[in-house]
Amino acid sequence: MNIFEATFVAAVLTATTPVVLAALGGMLCSVSGVFNMALEGQMLWGAFTSVLFSHLTGNVWAGVLGGVAATVLYAAILSVGAVTARADPVVVAVGTNLLALGLTAFLMRLILGGGGTFSSPDLKGLPTLAGLGLGDLPLAGPVLGPQSPLVPLALVLVVAAAWWLKRTRSGLRLRGIGQHQEAAESLGLKVGAYRHGAVLAAGALCGLAGAQLALGNVTLFSEGMSAGRGWVAVVAVMLGRNRVYGVVAACLLFGIAEAWGFRLQGAGLPQQAADAAPYVITLAALVLVQLRRRRRRPGGLGSDKVLEEGVTT
Amino acid sequence: MRSTPITTGLITASALALTLTACGGGTTAAKDASEKPAGKSIILITPNPVGTNGFLQLGVKGAETAAQQIGASFKLYESKDPTSIAQNLDAAVRAKPTIIIGITFSFDDLFNTLPKQHPDQQFLQVDSCAKTPAPNLSCVSFKEHEAAYLAGVEAGLLSESGKLGVVAALDSPFIHRWIDPFFAGAKSVKPAAEGTPLYVGGNNPFSDPARAKSQAQTLIGRGADIVAAAASGGNQGVFEAAAAGGAKSFGVDVDQCALSPGNVVDNVLKRVDVAEIAAVKEVAAGKTGGVKVYGLAENGVGVTALDDTLASTACTVAKSPEVVAKVKQVRDDIVAGKITVADPLAG
Repeated sequence: MNIFEATFVAAVLTATTPVVLAALGGMLCSVSGVFNMALEGQMLWGAFTSVLFSHLTGNVWAGVLGGVAATVLYAAILSVGAVTARADPVVVAVGTNLLALGLTAFLMRLILGGGGTFSSPDLKGLPTLAGLGLGDLPLAGPVLGPQSPLVPLALVLVVAAAWWLKRTRSGLRLRGIGQHQEAAESLGLKVGAYRHGAVLAAGALCGLAGAQLALGNVTLFSEGMSAGRGWVAVVAVMLGRNRVYGVVAACLLFGIAEAWGFRLQGAGLPQQAADAAPYVITLAALVLVQLRRRRRRPGGLGSDKVLEEGVTT
Repeated sequence: MRSTPITTGLITASALALTLTACGGGTTAAKDASEKPAGKSIILITPNPVGTNGFLQLGVKGAETAAQQIGASFKLYESKDPTSIAQNLDAAVRAKPTIIIGITFSFDDLFNTLPKQHPDQQFLQVDSCAKTPAPNLSCVSFKEHEAAYLAGVEAGLLSESGKLGVVAALDSPFIHRWIDPFFAGAKSVKPAAEGTPLYVGGNNPFSDPARAKSQAQTLIGRGADIVAAAASGGNQGVFEAAAAGGAKSFGVDVDQCALSPGNVVDNVLKRVDVAEIAAVKEVAAGKTGGVKVYGLAENGVGVTALDDTLASTACTVAKSPEVVAKVKQVRDDIVAGKITVADPLAG
């Protein structure tokens, strides 16, 4: 039973890591005041390019780095479009999401010689921690052993991001820019530079998410394999409300709901119901979070007095 | 947006060109049938990109061979996804080939109506059939359940824990042909065997290898030592999970043993090419309409264990001659009618 539980936690961690990485990027953008809906396309692009570079170089770490670099480049479309040219970030994001779907399929035919699924015995995937000799840790061994090194890296990044946003001057400035752009500008902050940084950092994180998905979770690329995980990340950003641990908790909720869904399916729950489970739980969480917020505000939502009080306090 | 720009462009261009020639030449409608471009031609439309999809590759190979054998030219229209089939089909109808072939159940709806609107055009549907086929629609379908039953027999003989799993793309009646008979076959040799299916579902059920792998891991975590794959693009994820978890798997449609050597026992084969070649010849000879069903008896479906080339494959069943012998005997029993495999589609 013990091992059974450890494998459950391990499965949740594997499934959630790409979502957490992408959501972390989305959150940085959201904190800086840019609504980033391009996570799905960037994750897919990261998955494709990391597989491509791993395949071309024969080195998985070159694949990961190549995927991250290529996705930063890809995120520049959103960064230039939404920050420099001041286009609606939602419109640019939808465009890049669709472009990623078509472009990966097209490049796959062009470079990898065929569409559908690309896998090859020569394609190098990420090693597991157990494979690197780190699987014997007590307690964490059975959970972390089967994971790729990107999983602990994601955990480190989460903690680092939370610390950075809360404890450093630049983190505070990023939050300030998102909360009140004019005030930040009047203090002489380079709003554009911070937002470019946030969007490109989100690109790097989505590249990492794609690399984990295509070289860590599995070792292959198939068309559209991000399969909605980027959208889950967008929802997690909205649920977590700009708080790192809130966003991570939302991602974990999704991961646990999905893994439980598999088990309930095994116990006879129809596939369609199990499919809906993560979304039903999200809706329930959304309602609960909203109710709690309301209770905290005396006078209820929407009253002008409360809003004024909120601003002055 | 999801259709490949190049394919769409080419198809639109060729459709336009063909429309022009058709308009220029066809003054009387009655002449249309006899006015096909010099020589015979075959157009095959796929519902998805062929890519590394072994089943579609085999379908293309079969159609090419068939075209060669009847002396026809061959064209392939690849659809980016099932929603772009209609455009490709429209272009194919305008090209007026001898036969238009559509492969898989994705053509069910379109082939219900289109052949009736074009009574002079011959259509062939492979791997499924429209509900109310017109006389100019011929169909080839398969008894996949017979092959899945044989795979199940192997699984039942080889499983030590008696717990079996299947990771399937969707919980749909057609896909149950790879699930229910598989478990039934296992129970026929190991009555205590338990079978659990999991369905990938989600946003991209036929191409979500990460989720398929995670589900296979769940099944292995519950004690399953054999997890069959029926998840299309997700199969490779199932094989990876089996390799990591010390379990064994089964492939689908074509020999997938080489994709993960040592981890795949056998494959539920569908010989699309064999059936397609036979059907094209019949249609070309004027024997059109109707449904031809290929089962074990017709050698239209099978398992790799029954092939002469078994020794040269990477399938692990080759190491268990007693299992192969039993499978041959069950195959003979099914062909002779001593065993009837229940068809989930009929139920």
